[in-house]
Amino acid sequence: MTFRGEARLWIAQRASAVVLALCVAVHLVTIVYAVRSGLNAAEILARTRGSVAWFAFYSLFVLAVTVHAPIGLRSVLGEWAGWRGRSRDFALLLFAAFLAWIGMRAVLGVFA
Amino acid sequence: MPREASQTVLDVVTYIQRALDPTLAYRFACRVGMCGSCAMMVNGVPRWTCRTHVDKVAGSGMLELAPLKNLPVIRDLVADMREFFDKWARAKGEFRGRSTREDDFARVRPDSAPRMQADAGIECIGCGVCYAACDVVKWNPDYLGPAALNRAWTLINDVRGKENLERLRAVAGDAGCHACHSHVSCTERCPKHISPTAAIAGLKREVTKAVLHGDL
Repeated sequence: MTFRGEARLWIAQRASAVVLALCVAVHLVTIVYAVRSGLNAAEILARTRGSVAWFAFYSLFVLAVTVHAPIGLRSVLGEWAGWRGRSRDFALLLFAAFLAWIGMRAVLGVFA
Repeated sequence: MPREASQTVLDVVTYIQRALDPTLAYRFACRVGMCGSCAMMVNGVPRWTCRTHVDKVAGSGMLELAPLKNLPVIRDLVADMREFFDKWARAKGEFRGRSTREDDFARVRPDSAPRMQADAGIECIGCGVCYAACDVVKWNPDYLGPAALNRAWTLINDVRGKENLERLRAVAGDAGCHACHSHVSCTERCPKHISPTAAIAGLKREVTKAVLHGDL
């Protein structure tokens, strides 16, 4: 990959980290609120189903994970496993697609 | 090994070579912390041996010496520094001025922000301690390393210089500043108390700006 591509990956990972910091904080507060309020699964689903705001929030969360995790894993694979080059990037594209798929599947599960 | 007051690790190595084993190979020159020649691993930690007192590092009475890590070994305690300095060249570590001999002296205010950034890293003696302390160098042999990147950062902040975009191209990417994980080992071990970590962070900032502006 060119230095420009590497630099863009670095920017994408830092930018996604900023989004993740916000998303994780909101997610944890939501969990604590749900548990402390004694909400059951049906009551939680009643709040999330059809909610455009929750759908948008968790879609953004999934997108940030999809960008962030494979770029971090790219360094780990290169440095600890010695796996570099196009095959690594192709495998990580598949991994990103997998993360997006299971993430959006979960989001649609509580939205639809 | 006789212990003496204010004995340095380099004193120990010199004694070994002169009194115990004349075949021992090691490298030194100035003996006063200026030349950067005598760095080696002392009880597993990279140090400049001429300024390292035995009392400070041999609490248990044991001293284990080895050549600097992350570099090929030539013999005994002598590491091959070629790769280390080749990477300075790859990071465009040589100064190239914009002015000619016909121009007047450049006027650089010592308290200007770029000059202060450059001054913070300019006292590097090229000892290789940071390079031996760096985990990323160990994991990624192409990584330019803390000293070369620190050098590039001092030049980027030198207002008399040129070719900074080329320099940013040379230090960006997986073999350059973006490989640094900010473990801060280089900064912790630098005998001159320079922070290559801060220099590398500066390079990341400048590369980011250049990419976002479309200059790179």
